[in-house]
Amino acid sequence: MNILAAVGIEVPFTLPIVDYNAIAPLLILLGAGVVSVLVEAMLPRGSRRFIQLFIVFGALVAALAWIFTITGVRVITAEGAIAIDGPALVMQGAILVLAILGALLMAERSIDPSGDAFAARASALPGSEDEKQFTARGYLQTEVWPLFLFAVSGMVLFVSANDLLLMFVALEVMSLPLYLLAGMARRRRLLSQEAALKYFLLGAFSSAFFIYGVALVYGYAASTQLPAIASVLTAKPGQTSLALIGMALILVGLLFKVAAVPFHQWTPDVYQGAPTAVTGFMAATVKIAAFGALMRVLYVAFGGMRWDWVPMMWIIAILTMLVGSIIAISQSDIKRMLAYSSIAQAGFILVGVIAASPAGLAGALFYLIAYGFTTIGAFAVISMVRDESGEATNLSKWAGLGRKSPFVGSVFALFMLALAGIPLTSGFIGKFSVFAAAIASGDTWLVIVAVVASIIAAFFYVRVIVVMFFTEPGPQTASVEVPSVFTTIALAAGATVTLVLGILPQPVLELVSNADLFIR
Amino acid sequence: MTEVNLGEEIVFWISGGLAVLGALGMILSKKAVHSALWVALTMINLAILYIANSAPFLGMVQVIVYTGAVMMLFLFVLMVVGVDSSDSLIETLKGQRLVSIVLAIGLAILLIAGVGAGLTDVVPVGLEEANGVDGGNVEGIARLLFTDYLIAFEVTSALLITAALGAMVLAHRERWLPRASQAELSRSRFLGAGHPGNLPSSGTYARHNAVDTPALLPDGSPSELSIPGPLVARGDVRPIDHHDVDQIESLGGGTK
Amino acid sequence: MTGSQFGVFGIDPWWLVLLKVLAIFVMLVLLTLFTIWWERRVVSRMQNRIGPNRVGPFGLLQSLMDGFKLALKEEIIPKAAHVGVYWIAPVISATAAFLAFAVIPFGPTVSIFGVETPLQLTDFPVSVLYVLAIASIGIYGIVLAGWSSGSTYPLLGGLRSSAQMISYEIAMGMSFVAVFLYAGSMATSEIVSAQEPIWFAVILLPSFLIYVTSMVGETNRAPFDLPEAEGELVGGFHTEYSSLKFAMFFLAEYINMVTVSALATTLFLGGWLAPWPLSLWESANTGWWPLLWWLAKVQIFIFIFIWLRATLPRLRYDQFMKFGWKVLIPASIIWIMIVAAARVLRNDIDFSNRELLIIGAVVIAVLLVGSWLAQVVIDRRDTARKLALAEFENRTYDPIAGGFPVPPMPGQQAVLTSRRTASPVVQQEAIDG
Repeated sequence: MNILAAVGIEVPFTLPIVDYNAIAPLLILLGAGVVSVLVEAMLPRGSRRFIQLFIVFGALVAALAWIFTITGVRVITAEGAIAIDGPALVMQGAILVLAILGALLMAERSIDPSGDAFAARASALPGSEDEKQFTARGYLQTEVWPLFLFAVSGMVLFVSANDLLLMFVALEVMSLPLYLLAGMARRRRLLSQEAALKYFLLGAFSSAFFIYGVALVYGYAASTQLPAIASVLTAKPGQTSLALIGMALILVGLLFKVAAVPFHQWTPDVYQGAPTAVTGFMAATVKIAAFGALMRVLYVAFGGMRWDWVPMMWIIAILTMLVGSIIAISQSDIKRMLAYSSIAQAGFILVGVIAASPAGLAGALFYLIAYGFTTIGAFAVISMVRDESGEATNLSKWAGLGRKSPFVGSVFALFMLALAGIPLTSGFIGKFSVFAAAIASGDTWLVIVAVVASIIAAFFYVRVIVVMFFTEPGPQTASVEVPSVFTTIALAAGATVTLVLGILPQPVLELVSNADLFIR
Repeated sequence: MTEVNLGEEIVFWISGGLAVLGALGMILSKKAVHSALWVALTMINLAILYIANSAPFLGMVQVIVYTGAVMMLFLFVLMVVGVDSSDSLIETLKGQRLVSIVLAIGLAILLIAGVGAGLTDVVPVGLEEANGVDGGNVEGIARLLFTDYLIAFEVTSALLITAALGAMVLAHRERWLPRASQAELSRSRFLGAGHPGNLPSSGTYARHNAVDTPALLPDGSPSELSIPGPLVARGDVRPIDHHDVDQIESLGGGTK
Repeated sequence: MTGSQFGVFGIDPWWLVLLKVLAIFVMLVLLTLFTIWWERRVVSRMQNRIGPNRVGPFGLLQSLMDGFKLALKEEIIPKAAHVGVYWIAPVISATAAFLAFAVIPFGPTVSIFGVETPLQLTDFPVSVLYVLAIASIGIYGIVLAGWSSGSTYPLLGGLRSSAQMISYEIAMGMSFVAVFLYAGSMATSEIVSAQEPIWFAVILLPSFLIYVTSMVGETNRAPFDLPEAEGELVGGFHTEYSSLKFAMFFLAEYINMVTVSALATTLFLGGWLAPWPLSLWESANTGWWPLLWWLAKVQIFIFIFIWLRATLPRLRYDQFMKFGWKVLIPASIIWIMIVAAARVLRNDIDFSNRELLIIGAVVIAVLLVGSWLAQVVIDRRDTARKLALAEFENRTYDPIAGGFPVPPMPGQQAVLTSRRTASPVVQQEAIDG
């Protein structure tokens, strides 16, 4: 009956070998995501939030714990599609820890008097009777939790994808929930929806570039697996025009996620419009995931074309640092300012990427971890500073905040100093290790530009501190809401890590420099 | 080089030309529905090219999924949103059309030149060879899905779940009160003060029988219930021409 | 197309291909004319009428005459129509309807003018998918007809019918999966030969039932003929079409009926294979005889179509969509999983039929208990509704509410009064009135 049998062709089918131990964290997260969707479908509304929180934190902690048990694993599995190696494990761990902090921010319910950070029902038109009714009845959009879990699983897969096609799927699994989450803010919903739409359209556009690049690279190498591409590059070094164009298009897709200039246009709008908890989560984790994938593609697949991509990345890094820092100066909205700051930080990390050395990779990893904790903490503070209309993100409302609430003010000042790269904070060590690696690789001029950009950037970070502490609080000044234990933990963790990594960076530095090689 | 036979070449130039034509038509159409139709044309021609390249499964799936489902849903949205809506032609960004045309042409030249240069000394192995490994197109795709791309294939389900969930979150209008059943609606209609049955239909006379003409009650006065509310609100109700009525009655020999 | 199993296809001389195309075309047109007459006669009989019996023997030429009349009628094109699209819509519909028949097998290899050839225009590894693809292109004809008419009823009708066809195409496609699993192929000719021992309608009964249901939805026929619900939408998508263009839609609808019936025959009823008692006769499956078996099986399905139309009232739109999405599609998914699991258990893990039956029995038992529990929960939820109903029904009945005699509401009991015992006052009033 079988065609093959009828023709007499015997095609042996061997089941693919999957190292389930190595990819268990991913499976835990995906499984939890599916269970979480089922909870949404089956259980009554009132009990969902509690169960969802249980599933989310349970899954994140379980996945993290599993990663601690497989720290020694270095393996390429699932027919070469997934690479679990040092950088992948470090980044997966960092993503999971930061995702826990992000989930804590998203679970916060006592800052906003009417509920959590998300619209009671995202489908109710802003300002409609429906919206009022849902808000008054205390509805919560618990669908954010499955979306959150899928986003995290996409990230965890993204940093370990060893195959361009799988990387594309992971990119979409990571991005699609984020597009949705960005559009579900409880306050200023039109702004939030606009942000989501922009993010979605531009994100879809950049994904199209990515997949087109994958197609061209496949045309060149007849494979989408990164090591295979690298070996074809060494086998036939001439005739690389397909690979070159393909790589450029892939980089467009990845640099978009990294928010490098000129692919940064979405960042300010999305950071400002999205619910602050989501912004914090996204700023910290997407950056890690996107840089992880970027470095894997550049080092593993296109390491042989280093002299083709380095000049291009030079220009992009310089543009990113300068444009991010300079435009941030003119911002009056604190979320927008942090968005431009994140663009500038992406430029600094790119300096480490360009170094293309183990030290550069380790520096970039350290920088990403440090930046993640600092930025999530900063957004935690922003979510607490409010006036009667919701979050007070305009800088004028922050005047004198440091005097009104000295504790929160000083924590925020700490984050600003860390972002500026002042010694005794994690930001300093991050910048130092990245720049040192770049100088060691001979990119001295790039480092000089980076230092200039850091000085420009320091200006606006310090300005926030000045506004907070050296202005008298007036009637305009927002007040700091007392958060529940969720935000408090996230904030404390962010501040502690920022300080500890500044004073005692050695353990983490050792961790990242032990994990400085991508497996091929 | 493997030989490309004449039939294949003819198919390529016709379908390829139509596909490009569809793509251009999509960009240049002013009506959104027309654009969608052009895309459908492109999709079908791509499917034909796949089939000509010995990938019948891919070709069929292309038609079923893209032409049949995706474009159809797209058409749906366009039609529901506005039967005749065409895009506003006012440019918000000055000169962006020119710049984008120039850049697009530049990218096209770059890609065509690059891809062309990259493919000059490639030796094709032939379609028989490509499909022969697993005994056919369907079997080949099946093997790839369950070996090399197993994880990608399975993780795609997470993507689809997310998409479905997202559509529900953004578009599903929940009710804060349970929906009234047909029986309940009927009951409340009879209990309420309104009109439980059908409203009287509009007037039917020799000269007028449109919905804007009220029916006459036994005493000759117009029945307001017989006119749809929106017409009343718009002031589009035709007044009863009593002269007409009288004339008709006198013609019929009726008495008033 | 690779693979020697399709060696018999694609080697016909050009005149034979042309002959087959012509034969299929003529057969479809004749079948359409016959089906229209057949439908009118059968429906008439079911409604105690006679039906067309004037033109030709038994009125057989009635639909031919109607066709001539339709084609010669005046054509009216609405001013608001989008001309190009309005023109092409019926063409798409009719063309797609004809195209689908290219892969339907009518019989085994026969000799035509000395050339050995199968009674089938062509076949290739995914020909069943080809039928689905063509069906999805055919929907365009309907949607575009609705849109391009520039009028509300056609637009609504077009949207409805395409929503309906897309929804039911999913269930339809899923019902094929089990067939593919058992036949090991997606080519129509191989699916037919795979049914040599036993028809798939027997071993894959749920698939068959799902297909038969969804094929009625797919062709917009009663009781699923919502796009043409006269009371709501006048004629649906073809309201603004007349003359030959309308005739093309008409043709497309009937050809589609024949196509889905032919597909049902091919996939589930063994195609041209002779049915059981006949299959004992040795040469039943050779030569031109199978064409007769095929035609008979197709006619059975067409009769079912007509029977349904004469028997069942039309569904409400939301109920219909709910049925498609919440019953047919989940049922197909579950059934596919059962079939796949059963095959794996038999082929790879070496389960015997008996063990499979035991597992099946356990599953059915669990399902029964589960559905009983679900019913208990549903009943409990319904108590609130029942209370409301009881309250409504227990209201006191006032026979002359508001001064007029009023009949009792549903559930109320009229108080029986006798004229003789009625009070004098009421009698007096009656006389005065």
